[in-house]
Amino acid sequence: MDNPEIASEGAPVEQETALEEVKICMTTVHQVIDSFPDKSRRYLIPMLSKIQEKLRWLPDEVIKLVMTEIRLTRAEIYGVISFYHQFRMTEPGKYIYRLCYGTACFVKGAPIIAEKLKEKYNMSQGETDPTKLFTLEFASCLGNCGAAPMAIIGDDTYGTIDPEKTYEICDNYSL
Amino acid sequence: MSVVAKKTINFTLNGQPLSATEDTVILDAAKRAGVFITNLCSSPKLKPFAACRTCMVETVVDGKKELVYSCTQPVAEGMAVQTNTDETNRYNKACLEMLLVEHPLDCPICDKSGVCPLQDNTDALKLYNGRFEISRRNEPSIKSNPIIEFYLNRCIMCGMCVRACDEIQGVQALDYHQRGYKVTIGTANDEPLDCEFCGQCITVCPTGALMDLTSEARGLANMFTNTLSTCNFCSWGCTIKLETKKGQLVRIEGDEITLDLGINEGNLCAKGRFGHGMVQNSNRIQTPLMNVGGDFKEVSWDEALQTIAERITSTINRSGPESIAGIGGEKLTNEENYLFQKLFRSIIGSNQVTNLANLRAPYINQFLLKCFENGIASKPITEMEKADVVLLFNTDIPSEYPVAGNSIRKGAIYTSTDILIANPRNVVFKHESQVDVRMIYKPGADLAVVNRISKILVDRNIVDTAKAKAALPNYDEWLKSLSPYTAEATQKITGLEDAILVRAAERFGRPADRFILIGNDILDTGQGEAILMALLNLSVLVHQAGEGSVSIYPPREHCNSQGVNDMGVTPDFLPGYRSTQDAQALKSLAEVWGKGEMNFNQENLVDNLWENCSKGLIKMLYIAGEDPCHSYYQGAVVKDALKTVPFLVVQDIYMTETAKMADLILPTSTYAEKEGTFTNMTRHVQRVAPAILPEGQSRPDFDIFSDLAATCGKPFDHFSIREVQKEIERAAPIFKDVFPGKKSTQWVPDEIGHRPGFVVTSETVSEDHKESHPFKLVSNNHMFHIGSYSHYAKALVEIGPDCIAEIHSQDAQAMGVQTGDRIRVESETSSVELAVEVNNRSTQGTVYIPKNWEDIPINMMRNGEKGLISVKISKVG
Repeated sequence: MDNPEIASEGAPVEQETALEEVKICMTTVHQVIDSFPDKSRRYLIPMLSKIQEKLRWLPDEVIKLVMTEIRLTRAEIYGVISFYHQFRMTEPGKYIYRLCYGTACFVKGAPIIAEKLKEKYNMSQGETDPTKLFTLEFASCLGNCGAAPMAIIGDDTYGTIDPEKTYEICDNYSL
Repeated sequence: MSVVAKKTINFTLNGQPLSATEDTVILDAAKRAGVFITNLCSSPKLKPFAACRTCMVETVVDGKKELVYSCTQPVAEGMAVQTNTDETNRYNKACLEMLLVEHPLDCPICDKSGVCPLQDNTDALKLYNGRFEISRRNEPSIKSNPIIEFYLNRCIMCGMCVRACDEIQGVQALDYHQRGYKVTIGTANDEPLDCEFCGQCITVCPTGALMDLTSEARGLANMFTNTLSTCNFCSWGCTIKLETKKGQLVRIEGDEITLDLGINEGNLCAKGRFGHGMVQNSNRIQTPLMNVGGDFKEVSWDEALQTIAERITSTINRSGPESIAGIGGEKLTNEENYLFQKLFRSIIGSNQVTNLANLRAPYINQFLLKCFENGIASKPITEMEKADVVLLFNTDIPSEYPVAGNSIRKGAIYTSTDILIANPRNVVFKHESQVDVRMIYKPGADLAVVNRISKILVDRNIVDTAKAKAALPNYDEWLKSLSPYTAEATQKITGLEDAILVRAAERFGRPADRFILIGNDILDTGQGEAILMALLNLSVLVHQAGEGSVSIYPPREHCNSQGVNDMGVTPDFLPGYRSTQDAQALKSLAEVWGKGEMNFNQENLVDNLWENCSKGLIKMLYIAGEDPCHSYYQGAVVKDALKTVPFLVVQDIYMTETAKMADLILPTSTYAEKEGTFTNMTRHVQRVAPAILPEGQSRPDFDIFSDLAATCGKPFDHFSIREVQKEIERAAPIFKDVFPGKKSTQWVPDEIGHRPGFVVTSETVSEDHKESHPFKLVSNNHMFHIGSYSHYAKALVEIGPDCIAEIHSQDAQAMGVQTGDRIRVESETSSVELAVEVNNRSTQGTVYIPKNWEDIPINMMRNGEKGLISVKISKVG
């Protein structure tokens, strides 16, 4: 893989609309909930994923709404949300920086990348940098060990990253 | 009813041949055979879960050996079960060993020490030296709520609390959070616990991870002294364990020591478990007090009793014995109430005794007797968990009979009980039943709901009407009285679609074991009698014309509201519901009391007690353990009456509003300081036992009545509780052999089914909508409070500090009111100001206010009217 950058087309446009959704649009949430056959707890996880797809995270107001709509208690819904790391209860940065921490990537320098990110953006695993550009998440394995170390930033995949060029890749992104 | 005959399975356990019913899991079968299998996460009250993996046993079926978890594996025909083999022990031990890597061994200061399954299992497996390096968590204890402490370092993630909260209580306030190594048990986001505070989670916790913060005593719970007794709050009659340490009452738990004892199976509610603060409390009245020109002066017991005795004599001489009236206590024991009426009938010669429930609703006793006349004896309430259908009529279960909710939920899980809820409020009741029919009707329309269900049962031939017609003499007359309740007319009155009522009727009318629980709220509608009789008619109909059984219990509010009536503290009945006009009954009672002739041809002044007090006909009033100023539904009338009574004696634990108006106050003991029995609303006679000595100079009511009789010069000829119980058995034969030792029983009437028939009334639902006061006020006991005493329990005040009104969100929107705002609720006579919560529990056009706060006296809002109070609401500020 010569070109490490595989940009997915159309992503920037989507991200711009996402930016406009700083104010949570409850109608969207209602629409998602209503799109399910019935307001049953069996649809909790797909419902939450769809909502997160639209809003990028699950603000407390939204959780409350889902909770009352499908008649769950607060403890139950938080139990589910906290079980799955994919569900986010705090607002993430504009781009999710998914750094692969699988064995191959680890050996090939993922910890160095993490250290560098910590240095410049002051974010460790699961944290968002103060400017809210990135949220750093460690992945157990992104399934592309041949291109270790690798990362997915937003919708772009980077392989065979030279840890020394960590910042160069980051510079492709701005608020 | 829908009982499927279960097969008996024969198997062997460690070589010993045994049998058990089909579907019994090995663990339970072994427990019954007295064989202990290690386990941490199994409870007879909860569904099998298999989280702890320490209950492995070896089974051989058809020569095939398997290692299985005994808490989930049912016994099978010919199965050979081996416990404690080297192999199973190795597995069980390994799992336990890993739990002990994290679990701290701070046993000497742990609440559970000695009653700790983890300790027992560790000992059973002789696991004294673990192989793993100890790695303890060191997290601070969470005390973010006033009742339950979370000390998660001791938690072993068995999930018992999560399951109890869900399956037993239906609240689901606790859950697992995170996962893997990080998994914890708790509330969402570690927010302060906000639940029904039943404390079921503390009880089921096999380690000391959850602790009772209301108890000051820590450590070695098994060194406390246990006294088994009965709770003194609501009328459900939970059996409790009073735990004392060095003469102090430190904690209350459900009685789980005595197997099969107790209708609550060890479950309790917030009041029962955490309300012990009212027992040992410095605010209690310590000595007898005499009102001297407006100030209370401490007097000796001799002086107090002498004063009363002299006053009795002089009042009898001046105005006759009928001018002395007494109000018995719904929180006094049976024996005490018996002595109270004996004091009046035998020594004073007055039949003017009553109790507050009877004063308000004498028809409740009539209803009970009508049930018996119709052959409906009602099953013991312990059978309710096996019911096919439960009708909850106008009762907010989690507040009114919280532990009844536990039994119903259990039924919903294991018997698939249908749950029918009829209520003018959208009350919360969570359960796992597939059938949950909610009949939310307009306030005051109760009668129409019941009668329409009866009519549907007949019209649709859900029950065998020919049978009913043959068995019930006034069948046609009754059926005619139902004719106004057509689908359309009923919908207009109740606001309920007929389809819902049809569904309810179908579930209720099918062959089934039915239970009906009635809330005290029906008394507030002003049509209590008609509603009770309509419910009776419905029961009579299914009893005669339907298959299965029906059990129906009168609404009772306090722990001994049933017993006070049983003991004859009413002007109509002698002990055991024999009429005061029945010459034969009077004669036999006179014999028991060693008296000559007895008759009570005196005018009945207590049926209208307050009016007669105000008119000056009552010269002396003796109130035993009641606070009518606050708890009687018409407060203003009571206050007026008590001001007029020339001599008022109040016997109570605390300085209540009523006590403040007394001429003489006698301090009495709480339920934890006395002996006797309470009878619950389903007629179970249960034991009350003293755990501590009485506070200050207070004395049990039993002693006070005995001493007073002696001071009057006519001492009773019995000294002990047991002697009085023996006398009650002679005075009222229905109590023969019901006074309990270890096991409680339900008393049954001596005559049953002797006068079948409906009670036909012409009463209809009246719609008295007032434009000026458009809202209806619904009031009942708060979830954490009942009567006048619970406000002295610190823990209950901490979890239920404020009186908060509830209104529907649409009404709130129309008025521009939000949760947390203050509103003024005005009736024609009075008004209160309080905070409001906007929710959808209240229905449109109603406002709900709990009645337990003295500074928000709901009973003063009533202007002589008997029905629902019409009010108007305005926002304050």
